[in-house]
Amino acid sequence: MSLSFLQRVPQPLLRPLIPLTAVLIALLFGVALVAATGASVSEALGAFAEGAWGSPYAIAASINRSLVFALVGIGFVLAERARLINVGGEGQIAVGGIAATAVSLYGGVADLPLGLAFILPLLAAALAGGLWGGLPGVLKVKAGTNEVISTLMLSFIGIWLLYWCVQSSALLRQPMSNSGTLPESLEIPSSTMLPFFFGDPSMPLHVGLPAVLVIGPLVALVLWRTLFGMHLRSVGLNQQAAHRAGMPIARTLILAMFIAGALGGLAGGFMLQGEQYSLKAGFSSGFGFDGLVVGLLARGSIAGVFAGALLFGFLRSGGIYMEMVAQVPSALVLVVQGVIILTLAAVTLINRRGEAV
Amino acid sequence: MEHSASAMHQSQQHAAKAGQPWLQLESIGKRFGSFQALQDVALQIRPGEIQCLLGENGAGKSTLCNLIFGVHEPTAGQMLLDGGVYQPQGPADAFAQGIAMVHQHFSLVSDLSVVDNLLLGQAHGFLRRGAMADRVARLAEQYGLQLDPHALISTLSVGERQRVEIVKCLMREPRLLVLDEPTAVLLPDEIDALLRVCRRVAAQGCSVLLVTHKLAEIKQVADRVTVLRGGRIVAHSEHPADELDALVQAMIQHAPDSPAPPAAAASRSTRLQDEVLQVDGLGVTDVQGVTRLDNFTLVLNRGEIIGVAGVEGNGQSELASVLSGMSSPSRGRFFINGEELSGASPQAVTRAGVGVVPEDRHATGCITDLSLAENIFLNRLHEFQRWGCLDRAAMRAAASELMRRFDVRAASVDSRFGGLSGGNQQKAVLARELTLRNLTCLIASQPTRGLDVGAVQAVYGHIRAARDQGVGVLLISSELDELLTVADRIVVLYRGRIMGSCPAQPDQRARIGAMMAGQTP
Repeated sequence: MSLSFLQRVPQPLLRPLIPLTAVLIALLFGVALVAATGASVSEALGAFAEGAWGSPYAIAASINRSLVFALVGIGFVLAERARLINVGGEGQIAVGGIAATAVSLYGGVADLPLGLAFILPLLAAALAGGLWGGLPGVLKVKAGTNEVISTLMLSFIGIWLLYWCVQSSALLRQPMSNSGTLPESLEIPSSTMLPFFFGDPSMPLHVGLPAVLVIGPLVALVLWRTLFGMHLRSVGLNQQAAHRAGMPIARTLILAMFIAGALGGLAGGFMLQGEQYSLKAGFSSGFGFDGLVVGLLARGSIAGVFAGALLFGFLRSGGIYMEMVAQVPSALVLVVQGVIILTLAAVTLINRRGEAV
Repeated sequence: MEHSASAMHQSQQHAAKAGQPWLQLESIGKRFGSFQALQDVALQIRPGEIQCLLGENGAGKSTLCNLIFGVHEPTAGQMLLDGGVYQPQGPADAFAQGIAMVHQHFSLVSDLSVVDNLLLGQAHGFLRRGAMADRVARLAEQYGLQLDPHALISTLSVGERQRVEIVKCLMREPRLLVLDEPTAVLLPDEIDALLRVCRRVAAQGCSVLLVTHKLAEIKQVADRVTVLRGGRIVAHSEHPADELDALVQAMIQHAPDSPAPPAAAASRSTRLQDEVLQVDGLGVTDVQGVTRLDNFTLVLNRGEIIGVAGVEGNGQSELASVLSGMSSPSRGRFFINGEELSGASPQAVTRAGVGVVPEDRHATGCITDLSLAENIFLNRLHEFQRWGCLDRAAMRAAASELMRRFDVRAASVDSRFGGLSGGNQQKAVLARELTLRNLTCLIASQPTRGLDVGAVQAVYGHIRAARDQGVGVLLISSELDELLTVADRIVVLYRGRIMGSCPAQPDQRARIGAMMAGQTP
C-alpha cells in the first residue's frame, strides 16, 4: 500500500495528521471549484478572509458559530464513547431554541438579578435538548430502537415543532402589529441576551466562550477520570462484560444521550440568546448536522472537537461573506465540508487496511 | 487456486529432499513497547512434519505464530521461505504464500451456515452453495472432519466450530497449517479426531505447527518439539517421545512456585457445613422452545467444591448464565445464603458475595481495551473514588498488590488487558472475583480452558485456597480430570438434567463417563 509509510508515523502524531490532511485536500479542492465557477480566485479568497477574520466583528461572529459546533461536537464525542451515535443535534438545537425563547419571553426571568435572566433560559434550553436526546436513549434501552434512526427522526420533529411555534400565535408567534407581521417570535428582552465578553457590540464575543472552554475539559475529565466515565467507556467497549461487572448499563446509556442532547440544547440557547435574539423558521440552519461532522472529525478527542469547531465556524462566516461579495455560492462551503468527510473516510480506511487486522 | 495448487506441488518436490526446511526463522525478535515478547528465536519448518511448540503462558507462542501468519512484523531477524525473504504484509498475504492459521478465537459469523462462512471473502458474483457443500464433503472425507455444511454456526459446538476453521484453511491447500492451542477447547474424543486430522494433513505434504501444552498429544503426534520460555527457545527435540521429561523441565524451569495444594484432608473435617447456594428446580427454555436446563436442584455447602461434569452443550452455559445473573431462569429458583436471587441482576449477585469466572473470558470476563488495573477492579471501580474522581493511584497500588498475589505477569498494571496472554488474563479475572469482600460462593466455568500446565496448577491452587477459607465453589468443567483433581463431589449434566452424582474419586471415572453419555447409573 502506498500509504504504508503512515504506519511508521507515531500514533500521537498520526491522530491529528489524518484530519489535517483531509482538511487540506478539501480546501485545495474548494479553491479549484472557485476557479471553475469562473470567479476570480483572489477576489473570492479575499472576501472569504474578510468575512472569516477580517475584522474584530468577523472574528467574534466566527467564534460564536464555533461555540455551537463545539457543543454539539462534544456531545457527539461523549455519546460515541458509549458506542452511541447522536445525529440529533439539529433537533436538540431547535428545542433548545424554543425553550430559551419561551423562558426569556414568558418565564418572568427578565428582571432577575445576578445574570439569572440569561442563565435560566440557557438551563431551560439544555434541559429541553437533554430530554430530546434522552428520549432516544430510553427508547434504545427499553425497546432496542436504533438511536441513529430515532435521533434523526426526532431532529425533524424538533425542526417542525419550531415552525409550528413561530407560526401559531397561540404559541410563540409575535402578536400582529404594524411593524411585526412575520412568522417569528418577539425579540427577547435585552437582559436575557448573552452579555458580550468585552461589553462591546463591535466585538460581539459572548459569554458562551468561557462556558465552552470549561465544558470541553470538564467532559474530558468526566470521561477519563470519573466512575461515570469509566462506566460509559466500558459500556461502549464491551457491554456484556460491563453488565456482568454490575455496571448500570441502562442508566449510563440514557445519561450519555441526555448529556449529548443537553449540550445540543445549550447550543440552541447560545444561538438564540447570543446571536439571533428572536426565534424564526430555519433557526437551526444546519448547525446540528455540521456539529455532527465536527464530532466525527474529532475522532473521539475533545481537543479535536475544538479544532474542528473553529475550522467550521470560520469556514461558515467566510463562505457567507464570499457569496455576498464575490458572488461565489456559499454552498461551496458545504462542498468543502463534504470533501473533508470523504477524504477523512478514505484516509482512515487506507490506514486501517495497513494495520492488518 | 492455481497459486496454492502449485504451492502444494512445490512442497511435494521439497518433501522429496527430506528434512530440508522450507520455512526458516532466523534470530527473530519481537518487542511490544517495552516488553520483549520474543528474542533470538530460530525455527525451521520442514515439509510434511508436525512440529509442536511448547511453552507456558506468556512464553511467546502466540506471538511467534502471529509473526509467521503476518499479523505482526518482527522487530529483529528475518524469515526465509524457500530460501527467499518472507515478509508477509498481513494474514491475507501469508495465506497467499501458503501459510494458514487457526486462532484460539474463532472468526465465524454465528448467524450464517457453515457453507456461507466458507464462502465469505472467497465468493465472487453468485454464491455457489451447492459446489461449496460438495467441497466441504470431499474435504471431510479426505481428512476425516465430520461437518454438516448447512448447519448454522450458532448451533455448533466449539469442536465443530474449530473444524469449520480448519476446513477454511485446508480449502486454500496450504503448505503450513498453524494451530494455536487447538485442543484446549476440545473433548477427549474430539482431540483424538483432531490429531488424526493433523496426521493426515502432514501425510499429504503440508507441515503442521501445533501449539500445545498437553504432553499426551506431543507423545502422540509430534515429529519434533521446540520449547519456548520467556520469549526464547530453551529446548529442542528431534525425538520428543523419548525426552518428554526434559522438555517439561525446560518449559517450567524457574517458574515461580504455584501455590501448593493445601493439605485438604486435614482442613476438610473442620469445615462448617452450612448452605451457601441452594438451587431449586432451575429450568431454562430457549427462544426456540428447547429445554436447555431442566429441574436442576443442588445444595452447595461452605467449603465445598462441587464439580459439574458433562459434555459441553448440555446445559452448563445456561446454568452459569442464570446463576451469575446474566439471564433469568424460565422455572425454579436459587438462593445465596438464603437470599433469593433468581432473575436478579449481575450486580445483585456480585453484591451477595458470588464470584463468577465466566466461560467466555473475552465476551464477558474482561474488557480488553481497558488496562489490567481497570479490569481487576471492573466490578468495584466505585471503591476508588475521591472527590468525585477515580483515584487512579490507589487503584494502581491495589492492582499491583493483587498482581503479585495472583502472579499475574504483565509489563505494568497499565498494560492493555488484551495484550496479556490467556493464562495471565484468567489469573487477573480470578484475582478480581476471589477478592470480593464478602465472597461466599464462586461459580467458575471452564476456568482452565486454554491455559498451560503452570497456570492450570495456579488456578487450582486459588480455587482450593478459597474452598479452604469456607467459600463454596461450583466448578463447571468439561475436563473430567480437572473435576476429579479439584472437586469434592461431582454431578453430571446430560441434556440439561442431572444424571447423577458421586464423590470425586478416580475409581468413579467409568461411572461418570457413562452418565456423561446419558446412561442412568
